[in-house]
Amino acid sequence: MGDTLDTIELVLPFKAEYVSVARLVTSGLCNRMGFDVETIEDVKVAISEVCSKLVSIGSNVSQCYKIVYSVSEDVLKVTYLCEDSSLKCIFNNGDDGLAIHIINALMDEVELCTSNDYILSMSKVVEGND
Amino acid sequence: MSDGLSFTKEKSDEYVKVSLVGEVDIYTSQDFKNMLYEVVDCEKMNLIIDCKQLNYIDSTGLGIFVGALKKVKQYDKKIVLTNLKDNIKKLFVITGLDKVFVIE
Repeated sequence: MGDTLDTIELVLPFKAEYVSVARLVTSGLCNRMGFDVETIEDVKVAISEVCSKLVSIGSNVSQCYKIVYSVSEDVLKVTYLCEDSSLKCIFNNGDDGLAIHIINALMDEVELCTSNDYILSMSKVVEGND
Repeated sequence: MSDGLSFTKEKSDEYVKVSLVGEVDIYTSQDFKNMLYEVVDCEKMNLIIDCKQLNYIDSTGLGIFVGALKKVKQYDKKIVLTNLKDNIKKLFVITGLDKVFVIE
């Protein structure tokens, strides 16, 4: 995985109407990195699934959550952060089975539960960039 | 900001056809659920859902489809999904729902 060249941060309220904004930003960023159209759709879906889950559970501490896009030569790494440290392992295997399955299938690396200071992270490699 | 979601409903002797336009996500899912369940419960007919102009759906939307299918089966009817875009069909395949729904 290459060194991070740029970092883009998106801060969104815990509101459903802004999840589409995350998809728009993701789409533009992936397009700029050279992902093909199908992969852009995949990354959009995965990122949107996490946003939807965060919005549905909300936060007692913070008004907003942050999506950090770490862009390197051939990899997009996406990390979710929030002031509310209780937001860990936000997905459960029962109710969120479809979402977990979709995220794992569409992204290359997924860290759904973490002991780090972020909520979760996932990454996608740009194919064909040798 | 968001495409939102709208729909049209056509009724024949044998089925009800619902055409979806826009996006089904956490923002639009409650309206979508209300509309779909109302159609199922009121019409009690075979349901065709035309997804030609459906641009996006997430797991919330897929869950609503599954819920509607359970309801339809109570009336011994079926749901047929038509004109799915590739990105949406892919989600049905990933989740195995392509084997649960009739997709044309």
